[in-house]
Amino acid sequence: MPDGSFAHPQQRHFNPYTENGGTILAIAGADFSVIAGDTRQSEGYSIQTRYAPKVFRLTDRAVLAVNGFAADGNMFVKKVKQRLEWYRHAHAKDMPLRAIARLIQTMLYAQRFFPYYVYNILGGIEEDGKYHTSLPSYSTAFPPHPLSRVHWIKREWKCGPKVLVANTFRLLVQLGSGAVYSFDPVGSYEREACRAAGAAQSLVQPFLDNQIYFKNQTAPAGQSHPTHLPLQDVLSIVIDSFTSATERHIEVGDGLEMYVVLAKGRSPQGLESIAGIQEVTTKSDSDRVFVIRRELKKD
Amino acid sequence: MSIMEYNGGSVIAMVGKDCVAIASDLRLGVQSLSISSNFQKIFPVTDRVFVGLPGLASDVTTLHEQFRYRVNMYTIKEEREIEPETFAQLVSSTLYERRFGPYFIEPVIAGMQKTPSGSLKPFIAATDLIGCLNFAKDFVVAGTASSKLFGVAEGLWEPDLEAEDLFETISQTLLNAVDRDAFSGWGAVVHLMCFFEGSTHPLAQPRRSSTNRIASPVAP
Amino acid sequence: MDHFPTSWGRPRNEAYDAFNTYPLHQRPNHSKDVFADGVQRTQQPIVTGTSVLALTYKDGIMMAADNLASYGSLARFKSIQRLHAVGNSTVLGASGDMSDYQYIQTLLDELVIDEFTANDKHDLGPAEIHEYLSRVLYSRRSKMNPLWNSLLVGGKKNGKRFLAYVDLLGTTYSASTIATGYGAHIAIPLLRKAIEGRENTLTEAEARSILTEAMRVLFYRDARSLDKFQIATVNDEGVSISETITLETAWGFAEGIRGYGAQTQ
Repeated sequence: MPDGSFAHPQQRHFNPYTENGGTILAIAGADFSVIAGDTRQSEGYSIQTRYAPKVFRLTDRAVLAVNGFAADGNMFVKKVKQRLEWYRHAHAKDMPLRAIARLIQTMLYAQRFFPYYVYNILGGIEEDGKYHTSLPSYSTAFPPHPLSRVHWIKREWKCGPKVLVANTFRLLVQLGSGAVYSFDPVGSYEREACRAAGAAQSLVQPFLDNQIYFKNQTAPAGQSHPTHLPLQDVLSIVIDSFTSATERHIEVGDGLEMYVVLAKGRSPQGLESIAGIQEVTTKSDSDRVFVIRRELKKD
Repeated sequence: MSIMEYNGGSVIAMVGKDCVAIASDLRLGVQSLSISSNFQKIFPVTDRVFVGLPGLASDVTTLHEQFRYRVNMYTIKEEREIEPETFAQLVSSTLYERRFGPYFIEPVIAGMQKTPSGSLKPFIAATDLIGCLNFAKDFVVAGTASSKLFGVAEGLWEPDLEAEDLFETISQTLLNAVDRDAFSGWGAVVHLMCFFEGSTHPLAQPRRSSTNRIASPVAP
Repeated sequence: MDHFPTSWGRPRNEAYDAFNTYPLHQRPNHSKDVFADGVQRTQQPIVTGTSVLALTYKDGIMMAADNLASYGSLARFKSIQRLHAVGNSTVLGASGDMSDYQYIQTLLDELVIDEFTANDKHDLGPAEIHEYLSRVLYSRRSKMNPLWNSLLVGGKKNGKRFLAYVDLLGTTYSASTIATGYGAHIAIPLLRKAIEGRENTLTEAEARSILTEAMRVLFYRDARSLDKFQIATVNDEGVSISETITLETAWGFAEGIRGYGAQTQ
């Protein structure tokens, strides 16, 4: 029984961690990614604020969602952004998505014995998409730039001992593909098509298995399930996931912030018509980043 | 180690239009070791009532016997079958009797309740391990996959589902939830009860409820 | 957030001592840490301040804190000031350990002097002060040697209002109304009801009366509070911290309630 005396030694303990609730989620499409998170920050049963962003634009093709201990999360994002800025200064271009993913792994593992108590989901556009022969109008509209993913190739024909080189060049354009990387607090990571994390992970992930991966669903005879869903369908699933999580989890709610990363060259069909959408891209002629905000229940 | 997770298992019940469904997985395990893929957790109480008993496997048997005894006593005394809502109250009081040394079971009840007009309306309820009743209008869940069941059900369920659609909804909910739960799975069973007033529907004729094994037990 | 600074940063345990029956400065802790013999540094708060309340209104921000510094359950210092002006567009309000708070004051005063002597036509606004404090508190928690405080930073610079929180773990957030300690439980519901959606129309007089009412409610219910408090205002005119205000309270209602007033049996 504590009595204030120094007769018996007392053990005190400082816990450097806390949990700040909330949930994040990312889904990769064929040539886009959606990265979303709610905006409530809480501790125990108290809502600290109704607007604390958990999703951050890193570059014009990478968006990072962080969830767990908010102080660690904010510090981690700050340090990732700093490393990306250094990379930009050194290489005069943005770091590719897969390189950001590996960077995040090493940064997390560096803290293996005093971890950032944070679950990370990185979404964006990967440079591994299909090559498409461009139309002449495309090459006029988007002339090749040293930073762009446009490749000039020479056409060659072998005719016996001779090699004929065509006197025209053709333009090949690499379309980026949607990518999602998910991490654990000490840096284990993998590329996936979709991932939920945070307080309502257990509510959302099985729903996504069903709706994104079509788990436990049989395709009609002679047909197969699509490998990637269209953007409008993905946005509907994201909104449904968060309204459901808000309904059944006390730490989820207040607001929803959805980032959409569109691969360069993809027409933003249907995106302009979404109410309140905001473009946050910094450069022209690059992949594009948009934010969509929605209200969630506040109780 | 939580005693509620010792054997694993999950149950869900859902309301539809003039129909109700209750479903469970078939796993029995000892912590992470799976022992059986055909362990019954849902039991018929009357022709119109089912009870699901997820939790500690030994208590599944004990409580099932306890309920059978009490329902039989009720049937003899009252000279009629017990109604779902009455049975829910019986479950609640049986569990609360053991308030300070509970059975480690969270029962789920589903049935078709008689209305004053003589028709039947869907009824579901669930309790915690000491008998706190939850009469829900949409769906109830229990067991080791409960949070997953909540998440999927909240996304898939909608009001006034027809029997076929309710069957699909509860099956998809259960299957996708238990696939993300290490303690549940290994096959599943769905019981569907429908009220067909003067119907010629083939389901309405031979029996009042139908049971479907939606995923056969899978060998490891 | 827990009501008592002593519990901040400790593992939550709702099952034990739910009614806070132990003296504030001697919370029990039964957990065994096998590494504990090796290190001995983490402190506990000794002299503590209770809630700080703050809100945004039409022309700026307003903050309130009472004048008490407690030693456990003893009302030890009854005219302590817990609101502190930093530069001329920021105010800092502190709850938690008062000696850590005074250390933070010296840090900030040094910082402001350095900034002044640089004479580069830049001065630190509330956002910069808050960022600085969050780095200091986060780095101290990362050294497992925290500054045991919950701080509110408020201000107005270049026409922009600012109000944010930072605590011993380095957790930060901003909102239109914030409270620390017991205030987060008792005052926040009152303040949110009065302020949310009215941040741009609320007058200074209205804001003052809302804060005063919240301080009165806190004095009635928070056993570590005092009926003497101050209000700080930051608007386009700069920072002003009021003289001590004494709350009017009425205890007549207690007469008929068993457990409140003097009972004869």
